[in-house]
Amino acid sequence: MQTLTSRISRVLNVFRRRRLDDELRQELESHLALIEDEERADGASAREAHRNARLRFGTPAGYRERSVDAVVATSLETAAKEFVFAVRRLVRSPAFTLAAVLTLALAIGANASMFAIVHRVVLNPLPYPDSDQVIDLDHAGLGVNVTTGIQMTPGLYFTYLDRAHTLDGVALYWATDQTLTDGGGEPERLRVAVVTPSLAPILRVWPLQGRWFTDQEGTIVSSRGPQVAPTQRVAVISYRLWMRRYGGDPSVMSRAVSVEGVPTEVVGVMPPSFAFPDTRVDIWLAIQQRREMVWDSFNYAGVARLRPGATVDEAKAELTGLILDLPRAYPNDPGVNGFMNTMKVRSAARTIHEAMVGRVARSLWVLLASVGLVLLVACANIANLFLVRSDARRREVAVRRALGAGRLAVARFFLAESAVLSMAGAVLGLGLAWGVVRLLVAVGPTNLPRLSEIQLDWVVVAYTFGLSAVAGAAFGAIPLWRGAPLSGTLHESGRSHTASRARHRARHLMMGSQVALALVLLVASGLMGRSFQKIRAIDPGYNPSSALSFRLGLPVNRYSTPDAMVAAHRALLQRLSALPGVTAASASTCPPLSEEGLCFGSAMRVDGRPLRPGEIPPLVAFRSVTGNYLDSLGIRVIRGRSLTPADDEHGEAVAVINQLTARWYFPNQDPIGQRVTVGPPINRKWLTIVGVVADTPTNSLTSSYAGQAFLPMSLPGTPGLPVAPSANVMSYIIRTSVPPGSVAQAVRRAVDAVDKNLAIAQVRTLQEVLDRAAAQTAFTMVLLAIAAGVALLLGVIGIYGVMSYVVNQRTGEIGVRLALGAEPRSVARMIVRQGGVVALAGAAIGFAAALAGGRLVESLLYQVSPRDPAVLAITTVLLIVVALSACWLPARRAARLSPLEALRAE
Amino acid sequence: MPKHPNDRLQGTLDLLILKVLARGGALHGYAIAQRIHQATEDSLRIEEGSLYPALQRMSHEKWLKAQWGTTDTGRKARFYTITPAGRRQLEEEERRWTELTAAVGRALRFA
Repeated sequence: MQTLTSRISRVLNVFRRRRLDDELRQELESHLALIEDEERADGASAREAHRNARLRFGTPAGYRERSVDAVVATSLETAAKEFVFAVRRLVRSPAFTLAAVLTLALAIGANASMFAIVHRVVLNPLPYPDSDQVIDLDHAGLGVNVTTGIQMTPGLYFTYLDRAHTLDGVALYWATDQTLTDGGGEPERLRVAVVTPSLAPILRVWPLQGRWFTDQEGTIVSSRGPQVAPTQRVAVISYRLWMRRYGGDPSVMSRAVSVEGVPTEVVGVMPPSFAFPDTRVDIWLAIQQRREMVWDSFNYAGVARLRPGATVDEAKAELTGLILDLPRAYPNDPGVNGFMNTMKVRSAARTIHEAMVGRVARSLWVLLASVGLVLLVACANIANLFLVRSDARRREVAVRRALGAGRLAVARFFLAESAVLSMAGAVLGLGLAWGVVRLLVAVGPTNLPRLSEIQLDWVVVAYTFGLSAVAGAAFGAIPLWRGAPLSGTLHESGRSHTASRARHRARHLMMGSQVALALVLLVASGLMGRSFQKIRAIDPGYNPSSALSFRLGLPVNRYSTPDAMVAAHRALLQRLSALPGVTAASASTCPPLSEEGLCFGSAMRVDGRPLRPGEIPPLVAFRSVTGNYLDSLGIRVIRGRSLTPADDEHGEAVAVINQLTARWYFPNQDPIGQRVTVGPPINRKWLTIVGVVADTPTNSLTSSYAGQAFLPMSLPGTPGLPVAPSANVMSYIIRTSVPPGSVAQAVRRAVDAVDKNLAIAQVRTLQEVLDRAAAQTAFTMVLLAIAAGVALLLGVIGIYGVMSYVVNQRTGEIGVRLALGAEPRSVARMIVRQGGVVALAGAAIGFAAALAGGRLVESLLYQVSPRDPAVLAITTVLLIVVALSACWLPARRAARLSPLEALRAE
Repeated sequence: MPKHPNDRLQGTLDLLILKVLARGGALHGYAIAQRIHQATEDSLRIEEGSLYPALQRMSHEKWLKAQWGTTDTGRKARFYTITPAGRRQLEEEERRWTELTAAVGRALRFA
């Protein structure tokens, strides 16, 4: 048995072979000399001794060889030689080598970069140990047709904590924006995750520096009643913030910072890869949720770890069982019997992986598959080049066979070339992938988790080389399989008709499949392009041009009352509207396409219309606004009027609803003049509807619009309306007469002038916000279009190559035809027909494949059928035209041949 | 590495080489062959064609250590000594050999 080290040293001995050999030679010579000495001692003459010694000893060369074989991996040595020869042969035909290596590098590079993304984002997105055991405690509301995304309430949190047997720890959290001030540097608006201390044990990730929260630490929070501003908090910060703001200085742990104006002690720094709930979070604050069984406040998210052995489905079933048991446990609770019951809340628990990347994953898999198709096209191309090359080398092969080379040796002869090519392609492809990955990290959509961490690690490198090896074996084997150059015989004059027919068929097969694959990719990218066009054509219901938006939050300790908040926002708006280049300034708790989700979703109550038992009022997204928010955004007024600055200043009890809300709540009535209020019965102040405005997207361009209602900023928090979107955090919209980006600096200075401890975040033009909403589709579309373009280009090259070869092969025949009086045009037609039949057959197969595979991309499309006739027609026609042109060029050359030269070529 | 056609035979050669070296200190190839020849009272002759590959292989396995030196007659030669790993291997081979001969002996007696 051989140990591993002995195996390795056998391989290494390949490089020491000469020394081993020399030493053995000396050793055997000394052995011979010793025998000679002995013979001499026995009395033999010098000549006799010499002769006898050699007779006794035998053949030193043979011993040497066997001795070397005992310790050197000689098979490897032979393979290495074969490689060196292959490299020499390839270098001698630079055109072939360059074409093959570049084609391969392109396809391999595309595959390597796509795999790097899939590997990081889809297969391995979460840096938490056993992350498949971590589940997102999401819920569905079957009563309102919502299957995911309504999240958690404190009541469910405590129910699961107390009673769920499938869970091993439950954490509650939410994300928000808060301001960090620390004496040095600008105040910063950062994304903050407010979490129960159970989070780190559930995710099994611990701080890199310092410590995590103890179980008892955290501000006590309640989802009911007045919030008491905390006096001291503990926080853990992200590695990114630690490096960026504190230069990695561990003394930050003893430094006095303040978050949202509250003195805060930083107790730890998380590792760089930790990004929960998303990559933008920089601060984690601890909370202790007050034990209140609240059922209708779905403003929390939950995460849990499964008990060992439990599955997601088991947990889901158990949690739904616990929800169904709530009416028994809390027979008189209005929340359980009202909201939970009418919403038909059910557990929608899923792995955190599914929750984070489920949607993105599909488009990435489609993209990975599409670059796989590109690789197939590339392989077909190179296989064709190999066919041509192996034809040209039939004589060489025949000589080798005649001299006794076995089939295996001849196969090795060809496979060595493809191996060299594929490895060269892999190396170049990796270089290409490196560039592509850098580019994608820079411009890719922000919702790809861990995008910035994508790199070409050893898994990607191994995948790339593995894929190249498979590709190399594929295109190396095809010429061997068809037309068998292995059986080439010496007496053949260079062209055997049976063999060449088989090889023509092989060539046409390659060409046809290239056309088919290219069409599949063209159709897919056409469908994505059409979706993108449709998304861009969506009327967002507001005017996105010439406006800057940013988010600003007021620290609760210094702006603790609604009056203080309102006054601060008014002061800010006044300064901002006075800036040069600014035509209007307004603010809302949530602008269209905000990343905050529904923001403030609640049922709406209508005066004089008590809810019937079992009635489920639809969810309406409430926004508190100030200034000429609706007008300044360009949201169209359908009926009545919009909200004015005067409404806000005088605290008028008025509201404006969007068309969808009007349709839902007042299907056959005039909503104007109706009195409504925000969900919970604790709100007793009625707001009179004064207008109906056009629908605007809530958080995504492509999901259906939500019901919305707008009220003046000064109302929330006043007596009679305690539960309404608070003016604590507002999104500002600055209309400008100059390019909106140019006022950003002035805006920052204006905010500083009001309170230099305020920080602004998410500074973007409204157009950027809109573009961002279409980014995911754009990303998929662009990558698919590139894949399709490459496939088409390779396909064209392939067709052109095959047809040129056909023309070359038939030069003699064409010469005869022309000499006998054939029209050049009919010769051209003959060639085009030959290629055209193959191209059309390929297109037909590709068309059928595109129809069949349409379902795979359906979920990525927006208002486009996977069998969209226009897309199918345009792409198919485009492909056929391109394919026929690729046939026509060689055909034209054939037609222009002079019969004399053509005959001479034969 | 192509497996030796007869592991037992190879093992026997290894055993003999190791045994000779375990007893006699540093020896060159010729001396090893001679010693085996003498020790078996001329009944076993070691072919040079088997000896040198075996010495190479055993040095490679680190059972032997090879060093260039000079013979009594002033010839340059490669001298082999046994290593601790070689001694362990020797014990192993001896044990196996005893087992084998015992087994064969039993078979011959009772077959």
